[in-house]
Amino acid sequence: MLSEVRFEGVHKIFGTENAVEDLNLTVNAGEFLVLVGPSGCGKTTTLRMLAGLERPSYGRILIGGKLVNNVSPRFRDVAMVFQSYALYPHMNVYDNLAFGMRARGAANDHVGRRVRETAEVLGLGHLLKRRPSELSGGQRQRVALGRALIRQPQVFLMDEPLSNLDAGLRVQMRAELSRLHQRFRVTTVYVTHDQVEAMTMGDRIAVMNAGRLQQVDAPETLYDNPANLFVAGFIGSPRMNFVPGKLTSANGRSSVTFLGITTPLSTGARLTAGADDSEVTVGIRPEDLMWRPAAGPDCTLTLAATVDVVEPMGHEAYVTALCAGETVTSRFPPRSGVRTQERVELALNPARLHLFDAQSGMTILQRPQAAGVDTLRSVGEARTNDSARGRSERQGEPEARGATTRSEEIS
Amino acid sequence: MAVAGTLGPRLDRERFQWSSLLMLAPGLALLGGLFLGPVLYAFYIGFTNLALVGSRSRDYSFTGLENVTRMLGDYVFVKSSWLTILFVVGSAIVGQSVLGMLLAILLRNAVVPIRVVVGSVVIVAWVLPEITVALIWYAFSQAGGTLSILLGHTSSNYLVLVPMLIVSVANLWRNVAFSMLVFSAGLRNLPSEVLEAAEVEGASVWRRYRLVILPLLRPTIVTNLLLVTILNLSEFTLIYAMTQGGPGIETTTLPIYVYQEAFVFHQLGYGTAISLVLVLIGAIFSLLFVRASRSQV
Amino acid sequence: MSAVQARPLTGDQLIVVPYRKVSAGALATNVILILLGCFFLLPMLWMLFASIDSNPDWAIKIPSPTFANFADVLGRADAISSFRSSLILAGTTTVLTTVLALLSAYPLSRMHIPFKRSFMLVILFASGLPVSMLVVPVYQMYVYLGWLDSLYTTALFLAASSLPFAVWLMKNFIDAVPVELEHAAAIDGASTFRILRQVVLPLTVPGIAVTAIYTFINAWGAFIIPFVLTYSPDNQPGPVEIYNFMGSHGLFKFGELAVFSLLFSIPVIVLYLFMSRYFSGAFNFGGAVK
Ligand SMILES: Nc1ncnc2c1ncn2[C@@H]1O[C@H](COP(=O)(O)OP(=O)(O)OP(=O)(O)O)[C@@H](O)[C@H]1O
Ligand SMILES: [Mg+2]
Repeated sequence: MLSEVRFEGVHKIFGTENAVEDLNLTVNAGEFLVLVGPSGCGKTTTLRMLAGLERPSYGRILIGGKLVNNVSPRFRDVAMVFQSYALYPHMNVYDNLAFGMRARGAANDHVGRRVRETAEVLGLGHLLKRRPSELSGGQRQRVALGRALIRQPQVFLMDEPLSNLDAGLRVQMRAELSRLHQRFRVTTVYVTHDQVEAMTMGDRIAVMNAGRLQQVDAPETLYDNPANLFVAGFIGSPRMNFVPGKLTSANGRSSVTFLGITTPLSTGARLTAGADDSEVTVGIRPEDLMWRPAAGPDCTLTLAATVDVVEPMGHEAYVTALCAGETVTSRFPPRSGVRTQERVELALNPARLHLFDAQSGMTILQRPQAAGVDTLRSVGEARTNDSARGRSERQGEPEARGATTRSEEIS
Repeated sequence: MAVAGTLGPRLDRERFQWSSLLMLAPGLALLGGLFLGPVLYAFYIGFTNLALVGSRSRDYSFTGLENVTRMLGDYVFVKSSWLTILFVVGSAIVGQSVLGMLLAILLRNAVVPIRVVVGSVVIVAWVLPEITVALIWYAFSQAGGTLSILLGHTSSNYLVLVPMLIVSVANLWRNVAFSMLVFSAGLRNLPSEVLEAAEVEGASVWRRYRLVILPLLRPTIVTNLLLVTILNLSEFTLIYAMTQGGPGIETTTLPIYVYQEAFVFHQLGYGTAISLVLVLIGAIFSLLFVRASRSQV
Repeated sequence: MSAVQARPLTGDQLIVVPYRKVSAGALATNVILILLGCFFLLPMLWMLFASIDSNPDWAIKIPSPTFANFADVLGRADAISSFRSSLILAGTTTVLTTVLALLSAYPLSRMHIPFKRSFMLVILFASGLPVSMLVVPVYQMYVYLGWLDSLYTTALFLAASSLPFAVWLMKNFIDAVPVELEHAAAIDGASTFRILRQVVLPLTVPGIAVTAIYTFINAWGAFIIPFVLTYSPDNQPGPVEIYNFMGSHGLFKFGELAVFSLLFSIPVIVLYLFMSRYFSGAFNFGGAVK
């Protein structure tokens, strides 16, 4: 039942627009892969190609080792939650849920049992007689979800299945989906715009931008070692601070100068081959840029800054400050008492710096996996530490980039 | 495409599905046999001297442009052409479209009972069989009919006095609903934000319609004019049932002349040639409208 | 947010009812509409009144009621047979046209067909060709095939001439059914046939109804085609019968004429009222010609 999904050099071109470009991605059997990226980056197109609703312009798609390029959706044995729901407007909830099982010739009493089970899980039990037009947006979305969950397909494809639910219901459904995945381990590709969903549900996260896959990694790896500026900026909220810097090396030791200070790189980190003295972009996550009085002993660097905006969030506060001519955001404890225009000292652990090539935007610093990072995880039981997690595929690495450059030169 | 050279042929070219042909086949067969066939045949007959009866009904021959020269010297044909254009421009393009637009706008703003009743009456006039419309307008315009009483000349038969006007009005009376429905749908589909914006800006009703709504409705108006022209050009039943083209040839529009030449005077060839002129007029009008719809905006 | 008034209400305060201001424009709108309504209603009234008048003439007048006219018409064999002919003619035409239009419109809406755009334009153009042009060649063809004077072959030509517009109308309705529903059904494992039967067809019912009724109303009133293609008295549909009736005794039997055309009009009016809800959508041509 566990099926691996594989994209090999898949392109999708609409007219003159490359919706998906040279996608190489393997979703391991039983894996929960979350697909994220800005609007219009090709997530839905990727799912539709996998479902067979769109044929790839180039490349191969395999499900369970079988080439499915020419297999019609009906025989791919995938279940999909549509971004637009696509509920049958002339059927009530019961018939919407039952349609797929009936189409596959399931016995009536079996269908009835499954429909009721699924409806219960999704909190739709009392709505079975209603038509889609008589449901709220969130209820419709749950019917769309139910239409997929009622089946036991080889692959689940979910296109923002929780986007229209209220916060409470969303947490509940998130846990429910994770639980179902724990239990049945059906290979799942899950599209979302929600960082929390991405970080908590995914065995791995795939980040796309403008039709290109940027990085695929376990959530922490992605968070700690983003492959490029785009991923660094896209994952994490508030966004990572980017400031210009300069890399210099002497006697085999490298140091970096930014925001008016110079610091040697920490001993654990390795610079990628080819990095030399040059302009770099320094990335600092807001939670690594702390208020001096609240900082630990390993925050050896101190920066002077002027507070510009204070945004209290309850359990913490985001402080935007001006530091050496750059605007940076940092996370303060909830009741620090700092005010606008106040001069404050910010503390920074040099081991937590991210360095990117200023030209290419690629990371040039391989950092060791940090332990005990407080990422955004809140439903931690969603994930297991299986071996699949460790695999990483980076489109951004030099070899892959070489390939693109070549094809671009032909144009 | 940059990648095309390196990746070989596109895999997602649209494929022709044979099942589509299977579904289209019956319709195509019927259209080919009883529509396209006769159309092509008409182009041939139009250039022959085919007759309904007599020797020419079997031994007819291709006569080249003979029918055309005959038309040019045929004063009935010339008059008939003018009557047709008068009928289409007066009854359809001006009358039906303007009144249809007026009704669509007024009905939008009317109170519900009036909207429902008047809207229904107008539409019932349209769904009535043409022969019924012909009969009730015949009755309406006779000497001693309702119209003559309303105008105070009970002895005047308006179908004889002003036949073209009466048939034009009867035709307009019947067809207004079509334009009204087209315009109502068009108005309903206008983006309501634009209308509200104009209202908020304090534009007067007249300005709102002239400067905002009518330009937005332009495609709908052009479509309406095109359909209305084409439909009215071939109007036969109403006029024929009311006047048979008379008195004299006062209401002999081209469709009626076609029928008379073909089936009364037995000149099938000449009659068909006239019907081709009708097609030509329709094509010219269509072209003008399509031009007009593209020239601006 | 008006402040709560503690003062007791006096008599004249109690009757301060906010009334809708009737603007001059709104009044004019409704008055003009009523006048226009009369213009449309008046000619029809003659038919209604004359049908139950024992002594009708061309003008509308208060009838001296009688059902003799109805009895006379219903007792005439030619009237009854013309209803039968019309029913066969319009019914056959409608079934043929609707089925063929549905079959053609689906692939034209959903499938890849080379030159589809041009094809739809040709269809649109064809629906505008004057029937007068086709009468002679079709007559010739029917003479040659020996198809004259049959209601079914006449219906075949009526179907052919109404098919282009019906296809066009139907395609617009199918276009409006989201293709994503078919995708969802395909992923649910439904066969093409099941998708057509359980998803597309139920959602196309209004379109089918509109196409069928539009075709029926047109075929019911069709005059010139049966006028030319049929000749035996038994095969004359209503419009031809009424026309002949007008010609032969029209000037004497107003009452029967009115009854005849009234009875003949009722089916299409009923059909229309039955379906009027769906009709408004059918006239949504927008910028269709571009
Ligand atoms: N059928 C189509 N025809 C033409 N262009 C399309 C089509 N479908 C998608 N596109 C284009 O392809 C790109 C990718 O679209 P896609 O729907 O995959 O984005 P997405 O990542 O799902 O975005 P969102 O998060 O907003 O749902 C977009 O620029 C879109 O405009
Ligand atoms: Mg999407």
